[in-house]
Amino acid sequence: MTKKSTSKKSTRSFKIEFIEESDNRIMVLLRNIPVTMANSIRRVIISHVPTLAIERVFIFRNDSLMNDDMLAHRLGLIPLTTPLGKYALPEEAPDEEGSKPEYAELTLTIEAKDKPITVLSSDIKSKDPDVKPVSGDIEIVRLAPGQGIEAEMWAYMGRGKDHAKWSPVSVSVVRGLPVIRIKKTGCNKKCKKCVEACPKGVLAVKKGQLIVKDLYKCTTCGLCMEACPDIIKVSIDETSSILYLESIGQLRPIEILSLAFDEVIKKLDDFYSSLNEVSLENV
Amino acid sequence: MIPVRCFTCGAVIGDKYRKFREYVEGGMDPKEALDKIGLERYCCRRMILSHVEIIDKFLIYRRLGTGGRD
Ligand code: SF4
Ligand code: SF4
Ligand SMILES: [Zn+2]
Repeated sequence: MTKKSTSKKSTRSFKIEFIEESDNRIMVLLRNIPVTMANSIRRVIISHVPTLAIERVFIFRNDSLMNDDMLAHRLGLIPLTTPLGKYALPEEAPDEEGSKPEYAELTLTIEAKDKPITVLSSDIKSKDPDVKPVSGDIEIVRLAPGQGIEAEMWAYMGRGKDHAKWSPVSVSVVRGLPVIRIKKTGCNKKCKKCVEACPKGVLAVKKGQLIVKDLYKCTTCGLCMEACPDIIKVSIDETSSILYLESIGQLRPIEILSLAFDEVIKKLDDFYSSLNEVSLENV
Repeated sequence: MIPVRCFTCGAVIGDKYRKFREYVEGGMDPKEALDKIGLERYCCRRMILSHVEIIDKFLIYRRLGTGGRD
């Protein structure tokens, strides 16, 4: 293979570039992938990446003003750190010998002594140190003196399609890669109308040159193009997508991303095998 | 009680209301306080901003058939 052909091939093949990464968010650029495919990854992130959440609550005592159902609902919404692969997924057979545990056990026992207290998520005790509330400051309920709560909770693995409490992200967005083309000639670099028109501060004049300062902030709104239609052209690169997600905290953003790819592949495998069954039946 | 999650996006806000109140009662502008507790989207911001905490008003009563002092 000549050098030229390999370079040509690599520009066509699928590529991921990390744009921004932190503890709870990640922005990646998916190059050379159809928008539909990027979108299926986005949807799988929201509704198919499994996490742990409290699903069963046994309430032995609840003197609080909140009804049992309401209390259980609030407990369910508390995100729990999820050790990957430790607990059985909903589709895995639970009663096999030596299989993974089905649920994690947590307890909440608290009583207000002589002044009103706020029950916080840090009051929840977990049997498994890997499973604990993502934040210890989540307010659950207020208790007046003498009131108390005693509850046992079972946290199961689940998916966002069944209940949003199992969804690992708050934001999961796909958008096209903006392309801002600035004509070399004709721009006087002084009027800065385009710079002022941009609500996101994408454009800037630096060293007498109009530059794109922060391309990934661009929303392709086209206001700069309106301000100066002869020189600036904004369009979307249809072959690349920007995927942005914000984790709630059960999983790290990078784990969410790789699990999403696994889930898509799993779904395609399922589809393929069931297709095979159908075609065999029809023979 | 403040809801545990934002109704729209699902981000956790149940751990932020108390801080918000402390800041605002200390004289901070609500906008700055919301920025400081790290809520960017307006869906989460309105959760905190529009919340009215009334549970303390009910705390003097008790539910029928439950424990606790009168
Ligand atoms: S691109 Fe147009 S609006 Fe922007 S600085 Fe140049 S002439 Fe002015
Ligand atoms: S399209 Fe909108 S966001 Fe992008 S550079 Fe132009 S004005 Fe800014
Ligand atoms: Zn929100």
